[in-house]
Amino acid sequence: MSVKYAMLGILAQKDLHGYELKSSFDEKVGDFWSLNYGQIYSTLDRLEQDELVSHDRQAQDKRPDKKIYSITPKGKKELEEWLATPVTKVRALRDEFFIKLVFMDKRNPAPVLELIEKQKTLYLKQMNQLTHQKVAHKKQPKKHDSLTTELLMDAGLFHAEADIKWLTLCESKIKSMMKNK
Amino acid sequence: MIELKNASKKYQQGAREVHALRDVSLSIKKGEFLSVMGASGSGKSTFLNLIGGLDQPSSGEIFIDGIPLHGISDDELTLIRRRRVGFIFQFFNLLPILTAAENVSLPLLLEGTPYSEIKPKAIKLLEQVGLSERTEHRPEQLSGGEMQRVAISRALISNPAVLLADEPTGNLDSHTSEEIFMLLKNLHEQGQTIVMVTHDPRAAAYGSRIVTLKDGMVSEDISLGGRA
Repeated sequence: MSVKYAMLGILAQKDLHGYELKSSFDEKVGDFWSLNYGQIYSTLDRLEQDELVSHDRQAQDKRPDKKIYSITPKGKKELEEWLATPVTKVRALRDEFFIKLVFMDKRNPAPVLELIEKQKTLYLKQMNQLTHQKVAHKKQPKKHDSLTTELLMDAGLFHAEADIKWLTLCESKIKSMMKNK
Repeated sequence: MIELKNASKKYQQGAREVHALRDVSLSIKKGEFLSVMGASGSGKSTFLNLIGGLDQPSSGEIFIDGIPLHGISDDELTLIRRRRVGFIFQFFNLLPILTAAENVSLPLLLEGTPYSEIKPKAIKLLEQVGLSERTEHRPEQLSGGEMQRVAISRALISNPAVLLADEPTGNLDSHTSEEIFMLLKNLHEQGQTIVMVTHDPRAAAYGSRIVTLKDGMVSEDISLGGRA
């Protein structure tokens, strides 16, 4: 559902055809959010049905016409309303690891602790890579939206850090439960 | 460049014998930015004290640039530490009565070098960390981030083989911390060997290698790009 608004946001800046729209999407949020052409075109179709975007045809040599998409006034209004509204849903805790934790046998904690350890290492490796991507990104010449990319990278790092802290707490609580038995 | 061979550290805590470090073998290459992570009591402070020459192992060997840091007198250890190791700390440890430039010069002043000889280099180091306008300020006139930048310059004044950092951003907000880490990354890119001890995964993630200590032993050793 946010894909819809991301696309409206991109078209609010410039009229684009589908391919350019995907490139722009990838450039802006691609590190965090991958989208294939199928999703781009099906979302565009839905946006057109709702009269939030429209298209013009551009003739091409020896190839079918290119569709250039633009945002409608109704689309602009909807985008502005969406931008001004805070997000009510707190990040859902439905990560796959949590499901594993639910189904693991807590009476036999050794494999649980081992899994937690592995999971923490994995998150730490991801933080390590993301941090170095961020350092490289910060050293590049600034473009108008490079701050947004950096802020998204920060969010990724803070989330991974929260996961590591939570796993460390799980570890410690499981261990103290073992001692008290 | 720094080599630990079966290094252990035990000490008495009342009637209890504590094994702060157990048989740790590790080599730190020149130009590496190593983060050492661990909870409190994992042995990371002991690790830092040993490679920084602030303490000696109970058994095992430690070398910095091939020079042993074990089985030597305290005076010898002090000399090696002054010449080869630069420290930065969580609470900056600047002298409040000295200006930024004087604080930076302190390690060489203690060696007896006249201030007039050191000052140009101190000013240059302060310029490199973006403090050219602050060289005559005292610590109380500086922000936390600025104080840590003064401390980094002080650590570098004697061209140390290794820069040791103990929770260098533990007392700074996230944004200021990031500025300090960008500075450390620049130093790392210029070839400076850095060893940082921290409990904070976001700080540790700046390292090119991350070692985790647990109960005085290395439990994890990861490197950027996957090689361990």
